[in-house]
Amino acid sequence: MALPLAAIPSSGVRRGWLPWALLRLGGVIFVLWAVATITFFAIRLIPGDPAEAILGGPGSQASAAALAQARAEYGLDLPLPLQYLHYLGRLATGDLGTSYSLKQPVITVIGATLGGTLLLALLSLLVASAIALALAAWSARGGRVASGVSWALEVVAAAVPHFWLAISLILLFSSTVGWLPPVSVPGPAGLVLPVLTLALPLSGFLAQVMRESILDATASPFVLAARARGESANGVFWRHALRHAAIPAIGLVGWAFGSLISGAVVVETIFARPGIGRSLLSAVQQRDVPLVLGVVLVVALGYMLVTTLTDLGDRLVDPRLRTP
Amino acid sequence: MKRVIAPAVSILAVALLATGCSSTAPSTSAKPVSAGTLVYATGDAEPTCLDPHVGGNYPQALVATQYLESLVSKNSAGDIIPWLATKWTEASDGLSWDFTLKKNVKFTDGTPLTAEAVVANVAHLQDPATGSSTGYLALQKVSAVTAVSADVARITLSTPDSALLDSLSQPWLAIESPTALKRSKAVNCESPVGTGPFIVTKWTHQQSITLTRNDHYNSPPADAAHTGPAYLKAIDWRFLPDSASRYAALQAGTVDVIDNVQPDTLAAAKKSGGLVAIDAPRPGASNRIELNSSIAPFTDARVREAFIRSADVNDAISSLFFGTAKRSYSALSSVEKAGISEPPLFGYDQNAAAKLLDAAGWSTKNGAGYRTKDGAVLELRFPVSTNQSIPAEQSLFEQLQATTKQAGFKVDLQPMDLSSWYGALGKNQYNLVSAPYTKVGPDVLRILFDSAGTKPAPSGYFANHSQVKNPALDALLEKAAESSNAAERLSLYKQAQEIVLKGFYILPLYDQQNHYLSRDLVKGLRAMPTVSTPTMYDTWLSR
Amino acid sequence: MRHLLLWIGCAVLLFLLVAAVAPGVLAPGDPLAIHPAQSFRAPSFAHLFGTDESGRDIYTRIIHGAGASLLIGVSATAVGVGLALVFGLLAGLGPRWLDFGTTRFLEVLFAFPGLLLALLFIVVYGPGVVTSTIAVGLATAPGYARIIRSRVLVVRRAPYLESATVLGRGWWFRLRRHLLPNVAGSLFVLVTLGIGQSIVWASSLSYLGLGSVPPAAEWGAMLSAGRTYLTSFWWMTFFPGLFIVISAVATTLVGRGLQQRTRQS
Repeated sequence: MALPLAAIPSSGVRRGWLPWALLRLGGVIFVLWAVATITFFAIRLIPGDPAEAILGGPGSQASAAALAQARAEYGLDLPLPLQYLHYLGRLATGDLGTSYSLKQPVITVIGATLGGTLLLALLSLLVASAIALALAAWSARGGRVASGVSWALEVVAAAVPHFWLAISLILLFSSTVGWLPPVSVPGPAGLVLPVLTLALPLSGFLAQVMRESILDATASPFVLAARARGESANGVFWRHALRHAAIPAIGLVGWAFGSLISGAVVVETIFARPGIGRSLLSAVQQRDVPLVLGVVLVVALGYMLVTTLTDLGDRLVDPRLRTP
Repeated sequence: MKRVIAPAVSILAVALLATGCSSTAPSTSAKPVSAGTLVYATGDAEPTCLDPHVGGNYPQALVATQYLESLVSKNSAGDIIPWLATKWTEASDGLSWDFTLKKNVKFTDGTPLTAEAVVANVAHLQDPATGSSTGYLALQKVSAVTAVSADVARITLSTPDSALLDSLSQPWLAIESPTALKRSKAVNCESPVGTGPFIVTKWTHQQSITLTRNDHYNSPPADAAHTGPAYLKAIDWRFLPDSASRYAALQAGTVDVIDNVQPDTLAAAKKSGGLVAIDAPRPGASNRIELNSSIAPFTDARVREAFIRSADVNDAISSLFFGTAKRSYSALSSVEKAGISEPPLFGYDQNAAAKLLDAAGWSTKNGAGYRTKDGAVLELRFPVSTNQSIPAEQSLFEQLQATTKQAGFKVDLQPMDLSSWYGALGKNQYNLVSAPYTKVGPDVLRILFDSAGTKPAPSGYFANHSQVKNPALDALLEKAAESSNAAERLSLYKQAQEIVLKGFYILPLYDQQNHYLSRDLVKGLRAMPTVSTPTMYDTWLSR
Repeated sequence: MRHLLLWIGCAVLLFLLVAAVAPGVLAPGDPLAIHPAQSFRAPSFAHLFGTDESGRDIYTRIIHGAGASLLIGVSATAVGVGLALVFGLLAGLGPRWLDFGTTRFLEVLFAFPGLLLALLFIVVYGPGVVTSTIAVGLATAPGYARIIRSRVLVVRRAPYLESATVLGRGWWFRLRRHLLPNVAGSLFVLVTLGIGQSIVWASSLSYLGLGSVPPAAEWGAMLSAGRTYLTSFWWMTFFPGLFIVISAVATTLVGRGLQQRTRQS
């Protein structure tokens, strides 16, 4: 949801490997705890009786006895601080609890749907990067018209809401020409439209960032020096400018991850793909506290992993961040 | 002018909508093929538990119809017919019923169907730990069930219940394997075991349920078209919540049957050809707007009548439903034989509405054109459940908002999710509300209009949304529920409905919409005459 | 080329602004007037963008909805940037421990997917224009806060500010005279870009049924109402969607154009 400009890579402070790793680990644990705590209490503000959510939602006409039974079964009769401590205790042992609505362990529910979302997100990221790279390269080397056109494409791509794109793609490729299935089916064909829906807006953002850094790089001393050494324009472009463009783009991966998860909520709903985005939406609507908490934690963990990896990548790629 | 609605000639009016269809209609080789997998895409919510004893809502009924069976069923004329029970007798005092079970029927886990199984199922429904609501309510008068012999079960009642057979025909009271019921709730929710033509083999959450054929099946209801196992090898039961993608998938041939077909889609299907529509209105109450008579301004019957007179329902229905919905003037669904229809009471007449409001003291208008009385604006709160009202219905409410404004009503439409909606009802913060209620038989009137229904259950739920508290009506409904004389019941229910309709407690709209669309290669698909869920037992594919 | 695009963006924004302030000038009809007999008309000269399910003219509704939709975009951005300004300044100006704390807090907010923050907020406070606006603002705040913080850090180390400190100017003076004007430039660009994004995100919430309430003539609500009729009556979804895209593109064009200018100067 945030703008890509918001993504600022690593802190840039030089540290040894061990302090770096410890700091990162501490950060991950802190963020997970804070996310769990905020969500736990925020979700209690939602109007409605959790016991009712357990018994099939509001209007379930559940009897008083059944409500009491459900409360006792899920520990909802305890005072809130105690419930919170119990929750943290179980969390520490890796137990995410049982989903109210699905009556299954949260870990099982997430395990069954996570793969689909990750595949979708990964493919979208790859496709988006490829499109962005092509656009950026074209505009950086194709003269003013190419630059203008690709700029316009980037802006439009970034301005299109996911759902509008999704339904336009369905109308175009399924209902009109009939090339692709309108809903998710097993196999690669079912992935094309969902991936495109997520990838196109993302590619708009990525291309904007990449183009800027390519332009910066082409004007930079080391590129001029390389040209002076007699390297061809093509060679310089592919060897130096492009590599330079990759650094800020890598910094965006963490942001892209969050944006893809947000987009997945919409895309998985429209294309009827199983995934954690859809789990999240239905869990929030059904007041399924354990499932919401579980999904949020897994997403937060994923975000932290991605940022740690990109930080690691920066440390390896960018010599300025390397320890002496 | 009162008249009893003639039993619908065929509630399953399978209309070959497409003009292109007529040429390909009955092919000469109409011999069912015993093969293939049918893909069904449902727009209803994914059940959280596949055992309809737990909770008990329509999405569960839809899928459970494929693998669970009830003691009795209904035919298209509305009469109770044998299913798992071959015959039944009511004791002369009406306080006990004996059900004789079909012989040699086995649940798909090998457990034989015996009277003990019926005992175990009623116990399961009545156990608070099960968390049953629909089934639990239907069995409230059942005090005990005993096995008289291996294949005769006796149900004992606290008071006579003329609605018992209707209740037992519903999928929420289907008979499950007593062995399977002993498993944990989580396991039973994943793979309930019944006697039905299909077996739940796999449930991939958020995606689909795989149902495979029960090769030993031998217990079809009396109105089935064939005997023995089903034709289809399997059913792929998919969840496709988005109505546009659902229809697109049907057109593309990705799926064979869809439900929750929107009115515009039905109209489009008519034009495109190759698709067959099934219109199966749900039983129980008609879709209606209930007027809360317990708080101002609807405590005054004249204001209620003025609202009803100033609401132009017919124009709205014809603009929004493309001829797929027929206006109702009844409290009951058109499939209910006991329903009476009173069109003159609900005629659109702005002049009459204006006169009624003048008479009721709402004679001044403010600058915005809304009526006022002693400084108060004639304002009506209308919480709308976005989960229960389809988009066309929500648009219909918008149009009624515009037409009743002409009479000076200020209707505040408040779309909200289910939880908040029940919250608003529980706090009595509504003047208008529309809530569907599906139940087999006219006993639904007792649930919706008996004064006992104004008291919220512990969960906050109550069904008498118009908050009718009329001792005479209560007495009529109770007498009807205990009467075993069909003619007497009919007359009692007729009197009860007259009180409701003439009291202007409800504004009937149309039958609860329930439309299915299938590709024309799907043969023998029909909706059960009980709660209009589709059954795939007789269905085959002419691929 | 750039200038042209900037001017196009400005022209579109001007048009939308006129629609927002005086919709009657561009579309004299009543956006709420129903005509059931004329429902679902395809675009024609009588109805430029067609009619909806109640026979309301979609062009009229879009023009009259511009105010509400832009207001959502502007207020959501204001909420987001306002929160971000507090966090960003706290982090950038405060003592080290405050910077550390605020940065950690922002990190936590970043770990929530944006839509989830919005979803949670809406479920707690109920759907509607106000809640969805605040929700979008909340969800965008962490991003802005990070940018503001880094900008503040850069400015703080600038020589003119150090000299002001040496001269013994109070922190309020420094904030007002040096920091805010310097942060404001990049902030203005951010806001212009952010409005378009906020409109897009608010419309996504409306699409999920969590935004404005029908029959209000707001673009997101119109989209949400039209989506069930997508396969039969595309114009009900296409035109409100088009205006969301157009306004997002226009604000982006203007924002980027301004960014370019500030860079050149």
